[in-house]
Amino acid sequence: MVNPIYLFVIALAAGFLLSLIDKAGRSAALTVFYAALAAMAGISAQAFIAILGGAESAMIFTAGFKPPFSINLQMGLEESFFTMIVNVLGLLSGIYLVKKLKTEKVYALVLYLMMIMGLNGLIMTRDLFNLFVFLEITSIATYSLIGIERNIRSLSAGFKYMIAGGLASMFFLIGTIYLYRFTGVLHLDSMAEALDLASGPAVVLAVFTLLISVLIELKPFPANGWALDVYEAADDGLVAVIASASSAAMLFVLYKITPLLNGTLLLAVAGIGLTTFVLSNLMGLMQHSPKRLLGYSSIGQIGLIMGVYALLVHSGAASEPMTLLLVAGGLFINHFIAKAGLFWLAGLVGKDSLEGWHVLRKKPVLVFMFGVFILALVGLPPFPGFFAKWQLVMVFSEKGLTLATVLVLLGSFLEAAYLFRWLGKVLKTEGEGEVKTSFAQGLPLTLSALALIGLGAGFSLWIPGGSGLKILYLPMLLAAALFLLDFLPAWVKNTLVILLMSLYAWQLLPGLEGYRFLFGIIFLAGGVLLLIPGYAFKGKRRGFYPFAVMMYAGLAALLISESTLQLFAAWEIMTLGSYFLIIRGKRSEPHALSYMLFSIGGAFVMLMGLGLLYGVNGQSLALTSLETLTQSAGVIFLLIMLGFLTKIASMGLHIWLPGAHGEAETDVSPMVSAILLKAGMFGLIVLMSAIRRPMIGNVDITYWMSWLGAITVFLGNLLAIYQEDAKRLLAYSSVGNLGYVLFGLSMMTHMGWLTSIAFALNHFLFKALLFLAIGGVVMRVKTKNMYEMGGLIKRMPVSFISVLIGIIALSGVPPLSGYAGKWLTFNILLEKGWYLQGLVLIIGGLIAFLYCFRLIYAVFLGQLKDNHRRVKEAPLPVLIPQIILMIAIMFFSAYPGLVLHPVGDFLLKYFPQGAISWQNNTALTAYGHWDGLAVLIITGVMFASVFALLLITNRKAQKVGQFNIVYAAERPSRPELTHVGYNFFAHYRKALGIFSRPFAVKFWDGVSEFAHSAADLFRKIYSGNGQTYLVHIILFVVVVYAFVTGG
Amino acid sequence: MTLITILGFILIVIGIWGMLSQSNIIKIIIGFSIVDTGIHLVMVSIGYLKDRTAPILDETVGKAEALARVVDPVPSALVLTAIVIGLAVTALMLAYAVKLHEMKGSLDIHDLKELKW
Repeated sequence: MVNPIYLFVIALAAGFLLSLIDKAGRSAALTVFYAALAAMAGISAQAFIAILGGAESAMIFTAGFKPPFSINLQMGLEESFFTMIVNVLGLLSGIYLVKKLKTEKVYALVLYLMMIMGLNGLIMTRDLFNLFVFLEITSIATYSLIGIERNIRSLSAGFKYMIAGGLASMFFLIGTIYLYRFTGVLHLDSMAEALDLASGPAVVLAVFTLLISVLIELKPFPANGWALDVYEAADDGLVAVIASASSAAMLFVLYKITPLLNGTLLLAVAGIGLTTFVLSNLMGLMQHSPKRLLGYSSIGQIGLIMGVYALLVHSGAASEPMTLLLVAGGLFINHFIAKAGLFWLAGLVGKDSLEGWHVLRKKPVLVFMFGVFILALVGLPPFPGFFAKWQLVMVFSEKGLTLATVLVLLGSFLEAAYLFRWLGKVLKTEGEGEVKTSFAQGLPLTLSALALIGLGAGFSLWIPGGSGLKILYLPMLLAAALFLLDFLPAWVKNTLVILLMSLYAWQLLPGLEGYRFLFGIIFLAGGVLLLIPGYAFKGKRRGFYPFAVMMYAGLAALLISESTLQLFAAWEIMTLGSYFLIIRGKRSEPHALSYMLFSIGGAFVMLMGLGLLYGVNGQSLALTSLETLTQSAGVIFLLIMLGFLTKIASMGLHIWLPGAHGEAETDVSPMVSAILLKAGMFGLIVLMSAIRRPMIGNVDITYWMSWLGAITVFLGNLLAIYQEDAKRLLAYSSVGNLGYVLFGLSMMTHMGWLTSIAFALNHFLFKALLFLAIGGVVMRVKTKNMYEMGGLIKRMPVSFISVLIGIIALSGVPPLSGYAGKWLTFNILLEKGWYLQGLVLIIGGLIAFLYCFRLIYAVFLGQLKDNHRRVKEAPLPVLIPQIILMIAIMFFSAYPGLVLHPVGDFLLKYFPQGAISWQNNTALTAYGHWDGLAVLIITGVMFASVFALLLITNRKAQKVGQFNIVYAAERPSRPELTHVGYNFFAHYRKALGIFSRPFAVKFWDGVSEFAHSAADLFRKIYSGNGQTYLVHIILFVVVVYAFVTGG
Repeated sequence: MTLITILGFILIVIGIWGMLSQSNIIKIIIGFSIVDTGIHLVMVSIGYLKDRTAPILDETVGKAEALARVVDPVPSALVLTAIVIGLAVTALMLAYAVKLHEMKGSLDIHDLKELKW
C-alpha cells in the first residue's frame, strides 16, 4: 500500500506547481491537474484493495508523536473506500469540467484540487480540530469555486452558503473546544473513551454543539435553504461534487463522531434525518426547475441516509457490519452515483424546465442513463437502492421501528412521484432540440450508469436470501442484450423474443403444478401469443422489447418464487417493465404515471407487510412462513393484500386502469389487461392459500373482500357503459371482471376459488381477444371514439366475429365459457348464502350486457362512415392471435372440465370440502349439473333453428341502402350527435346518478391536491433571503436542543 | 466560567444579532467577524489557567515542573489556526461583496432573492 500521506503531498505539490506550469500553457497545467487527481484516485483505490485483501490499516502520526498528542490520520477499510469514491468522483467531475477548466483562470484548477484534498482530509483525520481545518479548507475552496461563476445567481447562492457555513463552523469550534476542556484530548478515539455524557448537562451541550454543526453541513430541514440555492445555481460539474462527494465526506464525519453520541442524540439525528427526507421530497413535488428538484431530492436522500444510519446504531442493528453496509451503505452509494450522474446530465441538457429535457430523446443512450439514474433513486430493481430499501424494511421491522419504516416509505413514495413525473415528461414531451455531447462528458455518465448496474448485481448477491434472485438473472440478461440490440428491426427482435420466451416456457411450465401451471400458461403462453401482433409494427420499435421481456421475466419469476424477496423483486421488475410498455401510448403520460404511483404505493404497503412477517416470524424469508403465522396474521394479510389489490384495480384503487389500459398501444393493452392483471390475482391466491382465516380482532377480512368484489363488479361495469372510447370501455370492464375474481376468492371455499380461476382464465381469453380486435379497428380507423365508427362489419368481418365471440364469453350467457363462471357463481352464492352481495353481483352482471351491446353495435353495426369506406381488415399479425383465442374459447366452453377438474383436484390441498364432482365432461354440485359441450350444442341448435325460422318467415325482407333513410325533421347540432351510439346510455346516467359519480377519482385528486398545497406551503419558508436562512438555522438548533434535553 | 469566556459569548451574540439585523452585506460580514472574535476569546479562555505562566520551556520553567506551572498551550495553538481560517473566510466574503456590488449595484442582502422556494 502506498503511504496515504501522498494523497495530500500530491494535491499540495500539484496545487503549488500549477500556477507555474500554467505559464507553459494550459494543456500542461491540465495534464498535471488530471495526473494529480488520477494519482489520488489510484492511491486510495489501491489502499482499498490492499486492505480488503487483508493488509493492515495505515496510521499517519505527525512529528513522530502518538495520539492523543499527535494529529492522526487513518486509512482503514472505511476511509480507503470513502476516499476512493470521493477521488474517483473528483476525477470524473474534473474530466466533465474540462471545457470550463480550459478557459478559467488557473486558480480554478488549484481550488478544485484543494477541495478534493480537503474531502480526503475530512475522511481520514482522527483529530477533531484537524477535522475543523479540513472542513474549512473544503468550504473555502468550494465557496471560491462557486464564486468563479460570473453570474448573480451563483454569487448570491455562494454568499448565503458562506454565512450558513460560517455559523456551522462557529458551532463546530465551540463544541470542539469544550469537548477538549471536558476530556483533555482532541483525538477522537481517546475522546470517546474519556467522554462521560452522564457527568452533566454541560458535556451533553458540548457534544450537541459539535453534532449540530455536522448536521447543519448535512442540510437538515428547515436549515437548508442555502443548500438548495447552491444546488440550483452552481455549475453542474461542481454541484455533482458538492451533492455527492462533499455529502459523502460529511456523512463520514457523522460516522466518526458517532461514538461520542448517546441514545437521545442518535434519536435526534434519526428524527431530523427522516423529517428532512419526507418534507423535502414533499416540497420536491412543486419543483419545476430540474436542478432545484435535484437539490430537494439530494437533501432528502442525505436526510434518509443519516436518519437510517442513526436508527441502525441506536437499535443495535449496526453492530452487524453487513447490515450497516447493506442498508446505510446501499442507500448511500446508490444516491452517491445516481445524483452525480443526474447533475452531470443536467449540465449536458442545460434546460430550465423538466419538459425541456425531452431533447435527451434524440440520443437513446442518454435516455437510458437518465432512466437508470431515476430508477436507482426511486429504489427499483435491479439497482442497489432497491436492495438497500428491502433490507432496511426487514431490519427495521425486526427491531420494531414501524414509524420509521412508514416515514421512509412515505418519503420514497413522494420522491417516486416527482421523479416518475419527470421521466414521463422526458419520454413523452414533443419538441425540437438536441443535446451535444463530448467524450469528456459522456465518460463520467457512462461509468456511473455502469457502476449502478454493476453494484445492483453485487447487492443482489450480498443481500440475505439473494441467491434466490438467480431466477431473474437469465431474463434480465436477455433484457440487457435487447437494449444493446435495439438497433435491429422490430420483426427480428420480435422473432428472437418469441423464440426465447417459448423456450423458457417449455423449460419452466412442466415443473409447475396446480394453479401455478395455469397461471404459467396465461403468463408465458399468453405472452408469446400476444407478441405475435408485434409483427404489425414497422421500424425498430425502440425500447419495447427490453421492457416486454422484463415484464414477462417478473411474471415468470412470480410463479416460482419461494421467498418473499423473490416475490417482491419479481413484482417490482414486472411493474417496471409494464410501466415502460404502458407509457408508449400517444397520450399515456399521465396514465402511466398514475399506474406507477399506485403500483409503487401498493408495493410499499406490501413491503410493510412482508417486513412485519419477517419480524414476527423469526426472520424467515420463506413464503411458507405465512402458513405458520401465529401473531399479527390479520395485519400482515391486510397489508400484503392491499399491494395485490392495487394491481387488480379493485374499486377505489382502480383509477389508474382505464387510462393506462385504454391509451396503450394495440398489443400492449391486451398484455397489461389480459395477462398483467392476473399477477395480482396470483399474488392473492398465494397469500390466501397460506392465511385462510385472516382476522383483525373479530373482523374477518375476507367478508369485506367479498363486498369489495361485489361493489367492484357493479361500479366497474356501470362506469364501462358510459365510455365513448372503445378501449376505455374494455378497460372499465376489466375492473368489473376482476371484481368477480376477488369475490370468488373471498369465499374461501373450494368452489369459490374454482369460480375465481374459471373467471380468470375466461377473462384472459376474451379480454385479449376483445382488446386485439378493437385495437385492430383503432389501428385502421385512427380513432377510439365509438361514435366515430359504425358499420364496420362489412369492412372488418373477422374483427366483428372476434368481438362477437368475445362479448358472448364476457357476458356469461350460454353457450360460451363465461357461462361456466356464471353457473359456478350461482352455486357458490347458494353455498355460502351471501345473498346481498350476490344481488349486487347479479345486477352488475346485467349491466355488462349494456356495454357489450354498445361495443358491438356502435362499432360494427349501423351506418358506415364516409371516411371508413376504404378501411381494410386489421393486419394479419393482429388477426392470428384472435383466431387462436377464439378456438381456445370454443374449446374451453365445450370442455371446461379439462382445465377445471385438475385445478379443482389441486385445490383439495387447501379446501378438502365442497369439491365439484366430475362425470366425464359433466360437473355435479349439490345444486345441479352442467355439461359444457351439451350446453354448446343445445344453444347452437336453438340459435340455428330460430335463425332458420326467421329466414323462412322473412323472405320478403329487402336490403336497405345506406342512404335510403330520412332524417325525421331532426337537425343534429354537433357531428357526433348523428351517431346514435353517442352518449348511448345517458338515461342510465340520470337514473343512477349517485353511483356514476367519480368518487374515487375525486378522492385521489383531493389527496394529490392536498400534497401539492402542503408542499407549496412548506417551500415558502425558503424565501431566498440569506438572513431568513440564518434564522432557520438558529431556530433549528434551539428546537433540537429542546428535544435533546427533554425541555 | 471566567469573565473572558462570558465576554466571548456576549461578543458571539452581538455578532449574530448583527448578522441577523443588518441588511448591508458589509455589516453582515462585520457581524461575522465579531462572532469569530468572540469564539477566539472563548477558546483562549478555556485554555487559560489562573496564575500560570506561558507554556515556554526555558530556565524559569523546567521540564519537570512544566505541567504544574504553565497554561494549556493547545487552545492557544488552535486559536492561531482559527484566526488564520477566519481571516481567509472574511477575505473571501469581502471578495464576494465586491463582486456582488459590481454585478448588482447593491449591497443589500434582501436584493439577493433570485432563487427561492
